[in-house]
Formats: sequence, structure tokens, C-alpha cells
Amino acid sequence: MRAVPVWRTTVDRDRCMGSGVCVALAASLFVLDDERSRAPVEFVAPDETVLDAADSCPARAITVTENGRVIGPRD
Amino acid sequence: MEVVAQLPFRQGALQTAPRLRELRSLGTVHRVRTAMGDEAWLVTGHAQVRRLLDDDRLGRTHPTPETAARTGETLFDAVLGDFATEAADHARTRALLRPHFSPGRMRPLRPRVEALTTRLLDELIEHGPPADLHAMVAVPLPILVICALLGVPYRDCERFRAWTAEAADVGDPARSQRGLAELYAYGHELVARKRVEPGDDVISRLCAAEGVSDAEIAGLSMALLFAGQETTVVQIGMGVLLLLSNPDQWRALVHDPGLVAGAVEEILRASNTGGGGIPRYARRDLEIDGVAVRAGELVLLDNGSANHDPAAFPDPDRMDITRPASAHVTFGHGLRYCLGAPLARIELHAVFTRIATRLPTLRLAVEPDAVRMRPDAVTGGPAELPVRW
Repeated sequence: MRAVPVWRTTVDRDRCMGSGVCVALAASLFVLDDERSRAPVEFVAPDETVLDAADSCPARAITVTENGRVIGPRD
Repeated sequence: MEVVAQLPFRQGALQTAPRLRELRSLGTVHRVRTAMGDEAWLVTGHAQVRRLLDDDRLGRTHPTPETAARTGETLFDAVLGDFATEAADHARTRALLRPHFSPGRMRPLRPRVEALTTRLLDELIEHGPPADLHAMVAVPLPILVICALLGVPYRDCERFRAWTAEAADVGDPARSQRGLAELYAYGHELVARKRVEPGDDVISRLCAAEGVSDAEIAGLSMALLFAGQETTVVQIGMGVLLLLSNPDQWRALVHDPGLVAGAVEEILRASNTGGGGIPRYARRDLEIDGVAVRAGELVLLDNGSANHDPAAFPDPDRMDITRPASAHVTFGHGLRYCLGAPLARIELHAVFTRIATRLPTLRLAVEPDAVRMRPDAVTGGPAELPVRW
């Protein structure tokens, strides 16, 4: 039986410009804290919204990985 | 609530109007009268503006546009869009455009932008002082870049420059309308051409997307052509003006061009001294900092004032390229955050790095107060930048 994939979301707080795009797209997955974003829940079930947030980040500060493989941002 | 100010405020390019400064010290929400004679709320606090930029109780549409308060007479001030479907329409457009302007897509453009900047500065240096840095660098660079990105022939630049200038004329609505009509006709012409002969550019890629009409692509293309040049032209011009009228800051950047990232954010923060702002309409009743706003009322999110709120930026009138300035709201905040921000940052980094390294003795050829500004343009900014080195 294959394990259910788990995605890991990280925010590079040095790159983050506090645009708030990720929070607007996925308020349950990101919070703005001291003008910078962070992902309070690091591991989440696969969810397209996380990839949307990573794609939309104007600072390219969000990385999504699955078992160590980078799957977002997608461009 | 009583009207406390008439827009526009009278102020210099780099100074805040005294009356606006007074209002900001009294509170964050002010009842004002627009240039059209309509009443509106002007929001000036950083925390409030930032929150409201991403608040779905405010929108750009109005249920009865003919009765809506207006900021001005150009089509840029017109109430556009469908009230019932605004959120879905916005999400769709955003999803359509996002892949073409993402940081990942923009990154390979960097060497090209740097090469274009180098070429324009070569021409400026060859021309010799005194020279108009506005005409020779600030104007052509963003146009060259956006043309290359969208697939708009640069040779058409004289034509669409004239139309965008007409479209942005706040003093003459008929002229504004004429300019916009010409632009849309040109957009249609381009889409027709890309359908036959696609290139490696945004308009061709939009043509290849499913379920997007020619009219929509033409409209989006011209909006991008306008937004992609005018705004960056202004930021380059204001940046040069700000740096050269604060010689200590200019010297700091020349001494260490590694400060450019912070300098760009500080320019973006400081370039707009407030008094205008992003127009929104209340979709329902809400309260802003204790002030009751009724559904349908016009709310101006004054991002320039927000960028000068001492609660967010201590000693806000001081230009300081080493301050943490990236919490500015010049690009907006949240869902509607400027799609072009990554591209704008690449252009601004390239320009200010190269100006500082190649023209370290750069200075204004006139007093800062004598620099002519563009009073009639929606986006403002200098009309010229006479410099020596």
C-alpha cells in the first residue's frame, strides 16, 4: 500500500516582501507575522491552493516539496 | 460627517500638502470631496489601507454605476465591471495573466533588461551633459521591455505612446476617450496579426489559451501595455529625483551599489506623497477605524499616505535607502497585489545599479523644485530630468 503523499510548505522569510498574496489565497495555510509570511502548518495534505500560492508569490519565497522533490512554484 | 478637504491637494512633487499632513495627524479616515464634486472617504493609515486593499467588502464595481461617486473624468476613473460577478471575473483574469508575469518567468528577462539599460546609458554618456535622463532612459527602458514581453513592435511606439498619453489626460475627457479607443483598435490589430503569425510573447500565448475572445485579449494587452510602461517610467523618474535631491543617499548608493534592493523599496515607498489613492466602492456597510461607511460609498485607499504613516515608517519624510521599506503598499496588498511587481523590480534594480556605477557624479542640472512635473497625467511623475555628471 502506498503512503498518502504529504506536502511540505516552507517560506523563505528573507525573500518574503509581505505582499500578502499567499494569505489572501490560503488564509488557513499562511499568516503574516511581523510583515512577513510564514506557514504555521509545515506538512499538509496535497492541496492545489498551496501550489497556487507558491506560483503567485511575487518574491518567489514559497517552496512546496513532496518527499523532498520540489513541486512548486511550477514555472 | 463633514467634508474636511477638497481634492486634489496642492503640493510639490516631493512634499506632502500641509492640509493632508494635518488630516493624517488627526485620524486615519477623512470625509473629502473629489475633483468631480462627489463625496468620498480618504483612508490614510498604513494598517487600515493595507487591510482594506485585501478586504472583499470593498470592490471596484458598483451596483448602479450611473449614481456612483467619481474621482475624475477620464476612463481610468470610470466604474468598470459587473457588480454581481466581480470576484469571479477578477480571479479568472488573474489566473489567465499570472503565469506570464511570475517571478520564474521574469527571471530570464533580467540579462536582457540589463543589456537594454547599458545601451541607453551608453547613449546618454555619448550625448554628454547636460542631458534629459527622463527622455533618454526613464521613458524608453520600460517601453522597450514591455514591447519585447508582449510582442508589440517597438517601431509602433510613437503611435501608442501618443494614445496612452491622451488616454491618461485627466484634464480632457474627450481626448482621454479618443486615446483609449485608438489603443483598443490597435490591440485588435495586434491580436489579428498574432493569430496568423504567433511569436514567443504574451499576446501570442494568450491567443493560444482556450476560451479567451479576441476582444478580451486586445483589452488586456493594451491595459498591460499601459500599466507596464507608465508606472515604471514614473518610478525611475521619481527615484532619480529622490536620490539626487538627497545627496547623502545618492553617495551611499554610489559607494555601495549592493544597497540597490533597499534603495528600490525606499523609492517605491517615498515616491508618492499621498492625497489620491486607489478607488474602491463599499459592497456593503462597514466600519473603518470607528467610522461608519455605507454600501455604495467611494473609499480612496491612499497608498501614498499609508507609505508615510509614522506608525509603520518612523520619520517617514526622510529618504533612507537602508530602512526596511518593503512593507510599503505601492504595489497594493493581497489578492490584487500588482502582477507586474517582479518585472518592475528587475527594471528598477537594473537602472539604479547601473546609474550609480556608471554616473557616480550625477546631479540635477536645475534645483529640485524647478523640475517640471506632469500635472495632467494619471500617473504623475517628472516630465523631464535635466542632469549633469
